[in-house]
Amino acid sequence: MRQLFPYLPALWNALGITVLIATLSILGAALTSVALGILRAARNSPARRVSAGTVEILRGASAIIYLFWIYYALPAVPGAPRLSPFAASVLVLSLTGGAYGAEIVRGGIQAVPHSQLDACHALGLSRRHTVLRVMLPQALSQIVPAFSSLAADMMKWTVIVSFVGVQDVFYVANTARAVTNRTVAIYLLLVVIYWLLCSCTSLIFRGIEYALPLSKARRASQAPSRSFSSTSATREPAVES
Amino acid sequence: MTWNWPYVAQIMPALLAGVWETFLVTVACAVIAIGGGLVLAVVSSLAGRPGRLAVRGVVELLRGVPILVVLYFGYYALPQLGVTLSAFFVGVLVLGVIYAAYCSEVYRGALLSIPAGTHDACAALGLSTVVTWRKVLIPLAVRRSVPALVNYVLVLYRQSAFLFAIGVPVLLARAQVAGDQSFRYLEPYTLTGVLYLTLNLPFVYLLHRHEARHAHIAV
Repeated sequence: MRQLFPYLPALWNALGITVLIATLSILGAALTSVALGILRAARNSPARRVSAGTVEILRGASAIIYLFWIYYALPAVPGAPRLSPFAASVLVLSLTGGAYGAEIVRGGIQAVPHSQLDACHALGLSRRHTVLRVMLPQALSQIVPAFSSLAADMMKWTVIVSFVGVQDVFYVANTARAVTNRTVAIYLLLVVIYWLLCSCTSLIFRGIEYALPLSKARRASQAPSRSFSSTSATREPAVES
Repeated sequence: MTWNWPYVAQIMPALLAGVWETFLVTVACAVIAIGGGLVLAVVSSLAGRPGRLAVRGVVELLRGVPILVVLYFGYYALPQLGVTLSAFFVGVLVLGVIYAAYCSEVYRGALLSIPAGTHDACAALGLSTVVTWRKVLIPLAVRRSVPALVNYVLVLYRQSAFLFAIGVPVLLARAQVAGDQSFRYLEPYTLTGVLYLTLNLPFVYLLHRHEARHAHIAV
């Protein structure tokens, strides 16, 4: 273990890169999820089909295939940009994460019973009020818990960025292994690091969940929690670690 | 640089060999994952509290760590611990064991969804524990798990691309070799993406259709 001490500062810096990539990718995935998810739940059928197709294609192959394509193959296409390893990584992780998130958003939107929209209409609420005050709070209370486990998964997906040369914690750990040959210690350290990162992600989302309007309302009323419908926004088990 | 068909024809045999390797890896991993998952689930239901906690610990550990970390651990650390296996076996073993952990959760859910009355009925009929499990509970749990298990086989197919990292000649590894030899990356990586997608999407479509058709039936 002592042989690893000189590498600890480098590992610490690399941890920062991993956290940065994960944070940007999770934010990017959240935006992509909302965009694709709203289109997925749209009444307009061409929009729905385009979104469904995009989601299926993005989920249809491993993220590393897309990363390699964007990083190695895309610059050969005339007029296409040459992205830095960092930018390519964040882009690919955001898009693939967003494809999984789109299903969560769609599920959350569709979990709000249609009768509530009718009720809003009957009460003469404006469209803005209906969406912001009635649909969104309920949809979010379904979306955030499911997105939390996606975010924890995305933390694990970030290891692929080391293959295009981003010096994340996995990259630096592999370098340290090649030099010191302390294989078991290094990988046990990585296990601990990734476990901690996933736990922190879950904790942050637990906090967000706590601050949601519906959670507040529930705490205020002290009523036992109840779900809106059996079609909860839980993700199908297509989780890729 | 534009698309070069003669080059495509030149690298296609290697890529198709990679498809075959990917297929072999997927099948081998699926056998380990589906069989091992069932063993884990049954052991954790039959064992007492310590056994159950041990299985849960292993499952949580395997699901909480990136596949590549476990893969490299298997590839670099096992020889140091005195176990030398080929890259193919290490890859298949690691991926299979990780997805056995995921599959065990599927079986566990299916076992929990079997009504308590079934257990009571088996006890009332005087069936032994072995017969109860072999003839009643496991068949029921497996039938309920099939769609989720098929989904995991498709996930395994996609994740098998990671085995390129330890030198198993799966499709992605073939593309990498072809690209590095000719310094032309457009064709190998584009074809790889198209092959991974076209071989996966029909099965995804069939699975979705099956799920949509049986969604209303309480399986």
